[in-house]
Amino acid sequence: MKQLTHFLEGFGSAVQLLFQSARFAGTLPRQRARFIDQCYLIGYTTLPIVAILCFFMGSVLALQSGYSMENFGAKQFIGSLVGLSFARELGPVIVAILVAGRVGSAITAELASMKVYQEVDALVTMNIPPARILVLPRLAAVLVMMPVLAIIGNLIGWFGGAVICKYVESIAIEPEAYFSALRRYMKFKDVGTGLMKAEIFGFVVVLICCSIGLNTRGGPREIGASVTKAVVVSLISILVLDYFVTKALM
Amino acid sequence: MTHPIHRNPITAVESPAVGVTIDGLTKNFGTFRALKNVSFSVEPGEIFVLMGPSGSGKSVLLKHIVGLEAATAGRVLINGQDATAEHTLERIRIALVFQAGALFNSLSVYDNLALYPREHRFGDESTIRDKVMRALQILSLENSAQKFPSELSGGMRKRVAIARALVMEPQLMLYDEPTSELDPVMSATISEIIATLKDEYHVTTIVVSHDRELALGIADRVGILMGGELVFLGPPANLRQPADPRIADFFHPRIDLKNPRFKNLET
Amino acid sequence: MNTAQQTARVGLFFLLGLALTWVTWETLSDGKLFKQTGYSLIAGFDNLKELKQGDEVRMAGVKIGSVERTRLAGRRAEAVLRIDPGVKIASDATATIVMAGLIGTNYIGLDLGSPGSPVLSDGAELRTKITPDINAIMTELGSLGQKLEGALGSITNTVSGDGKNPGLFQKLDRLVTDNSAKIDTTMTNLASATDKINKSEGTLGKLLNDSKLHDELVATVSEIRGAATDAKSFVADAQILVNQVKSGKGTLGALIFDETAGNDLKVVTRNLRDISEKIAKGEGTLGKLLTDDSLYLSAQSTLKKADRAIDGLGDSGPITAVGAAANVLF
Ligand SMILES: Nc1ncnc2c1ncn2[C@@H]1O[C@H](COP(=O)(O)OP(=O)(O)O)[C@@H](O)[C@H]1O
Ligand SMILES: [Mg+2]
Repeated sequence: MKQLTHFLEGFGSAVQLLFQSARFAGTLPRQRARFIDQCYLIGYTTLPIVAILCFFMGSVLALQSGYSMENFGAKQFIGSLVGLSFARELGPVIVAILVAGRVGSAITAELASMKVYQEVDALVTMNIPPARILVLPRLAAVLVMMPVLAIIGNLIGWFGGAVICKYVESIAIEPEAYFSALRRYMKFKDVGTGLMKAEIFGFVVVLICCSIGLNTRGGPREIGASVTKAVVVSLISILVLDYFVTKALM
Repeated sequence: MTHPIHRNPITAVESPAVGVTIDGLTKNFGTFRALKNVSFSVEPGEIFVLMGPSGSGKSVLLKHIVGLEAATAGRVLINGQDATAEHTLERIRIALVFQAGALFNSLSVYDNLALYPREHRFGDESTIRDKVMRALQILSLENSAQKFPSELSGGMRKRVAIARALVMEPQLMLYDEPTSELDPVMSATISEIIATLKDEYHVTTIVVSHDRELALGIADRVGILMGGELVFLGPPANLRQPADPRIADFFHPRIDLKNPRFKNLET
Repeated sequence: MNTAQQTARVGLFFLLGLALTWVTWETLSDGKLFKQTGYSLIAGFDNLKELKQGDEVRMAGVKIGSVERTRLAGRRAEAVLRIDPGVKIASDATATIVMAGLIGTNYIGLDLGSPGSPVLSDGAELRTKITPDINAIMTELGSLGQKLEGALGSITNTVSGDGKNPGLFQKLDRLVTDNSAKIDTTMTNLASATDKINKSEGTLGKLLNDSKLHDELVATVSEIRGAATDAKSFVADAQILVNQVKSGKGTLGALIFDETAGNDLKVVTRNLRDISEKIAKGEGTLGKLLTDDSLYLSAQSTLKKADRAIDGLGDSGPITAVGAAANVLF
């Protein structure tokens, strides 16, 4: 029961924060510097880890499917399998999870520390709503950067699969055949759906992390607790949302 | 009664100075009662000094005035408007110098000061720069403009916090122990700032302080909080021979080493 | 913090994302970016079967292009092929639709044509040929079963008829002896295939996405089973006759069991002769399979694949299930 009220409280304050930030959308052009700053943090600095993880996820996926599909002579479909599963599912989810772990935790830590050390209170007394300068630029930045991260992650994942297919002896499929299989059963809609999913996940993750950060109460110890909570809630939200968004976008 | 006029030194726009009324304010944190039915008012353009031992509820009281805490009972009115109402902060500029400074750790000293004028569009970057540099000069911080809060000493942080409040050109200025970490010279400077703001711009001021000299030097009126209760309210002259023994103890503590409290310290 | 540099990086990063999205879009939606080279040819068929856009075009097994588009043109279906530049195709080269794997990737196969014949240019039409289709074989097999049944019923009655035509049995004898190995294999394969399908019916059934296909499969399997039973008893009965003839009982003696059915013999004899002659000439599917060794061998290799498919994952969809059953027969 207590858990439920906590959950509803958290959900409510996140939604409230969303509306508060949306109200200040008009101030975004003036906050260009903060927006660019957040784009840099959310997009540019997250790229290396996204690249590394997507490459290896693509490779492992190709390796596993090569291993199991060999049994019934469907190896030539590895490209389609890796391509589709990456574009529709793995790419967006991996990128969102990385954003939650790398960016979301940093956001919560920063906002929680601002809250604990009364910087947020100072902003309030200065009549500068935290939603305007702390939350809005981050939400805008994640909206712009998520599709970019997701498409790069996709392509790198596909490429990782191609590398494995070429160089692992038991599979031995030329990149050309791999990519032609990949192209055969995939429409741009599949990739587009993935980008849309990444967009939704990223937005929700940043909103959750901002909300939990700003609702931190107490001392420095609570900063750590808030970060843990933000990451856990983000991950759960990604996977739960994944189901519903996939269904809705089918 | 005619209200003194607050004149904005930059825009030269004149607005009436701000009065604060605290009416039966009570605050509970769970079962703990931090403020017990506190009532007093601060007249427009007045310097009010709030004193009391630590833990007596002074900071909590200031937070109620800026609307950061909601009262359990009673209310705080600023120019007749409820302090917790959202538009109060939009209409009346209130600056609070937090006890711990509350500087923006991710911004340089300069940007800490420039945030408010930039966000509220006081003018172009050069106007803002002039204002910020002047505030930094007043507090002898001009060499620290590009430093970050983590690179400053406690006293410097306090000064940056005061400078940041000055840049806001507030109508109501609240200081939470402004001189607690400052040397005597800097303390004197703060006293001067407070007096100047009152004389030149009719800024209403509430100072929370332990500093008896400061309090008796600049205060128009003094209030003393003890255990969440207002035990004294009146002009500083009345504090020279306080009738209440608790207040006398507060000003002239007698340390009695025979007190059982210190027994364990003797070896 | 270098804001100008940071802004530039973020800007470039964003442009990179846009560019990659555009490239992906181009590649996946109509592939203009990568397929504008080469020239196009048109191949018309009665039925394109499983052929679809993006499938390969191979000449003598080498990939030389892909199917750009499929469309209906009047009373036939056309595949527009995009042929890689530099590949010359003789005007008498013939195109067929080939099923490459058990799981149904089709491609268009071209033979080399004859040397010295003129080369096809952009927009020209290819000669095409219809290939024996695994589904057609199955259908014929079904009707073959019916024919066999008719013949069988007659034979039982005819054994005691006037039996003026011992040549018939010699013919039959020869047919059966010549092909007994093939028929035996066929029977064994058939038995094990139906058995396997029976056992894994639940799994296969679940794997079918389409209930219509599922029903078709079930019908097909029972058809095959029926054909198998019929064929088996036909051969068994024929064997009895042959044995009797061989053991010296004499044709006449062997045929004197029942005198009442004599009148039917003529009809039956004609039927049987028709069938055996057709088979011997290589007409009809069964005949082809019996006379054409290459077809038989290729069917054998397909059968092995089918066995693996059934043993292995059983996750190959309706086409595989039907195909496996059909292939196993030969
Ligand atoms: N957020 C809070 N939650 C619980 N207790 C609090 C909170 N803030 C202040 N208090 C309690 O209220 C009392 C007054 O605190 P404060 O106003 O900070 O004292 P001071 O007069 O030294 O500024 C203290 O006993 C403190 O423990
Ligand atoms: Mg205090």
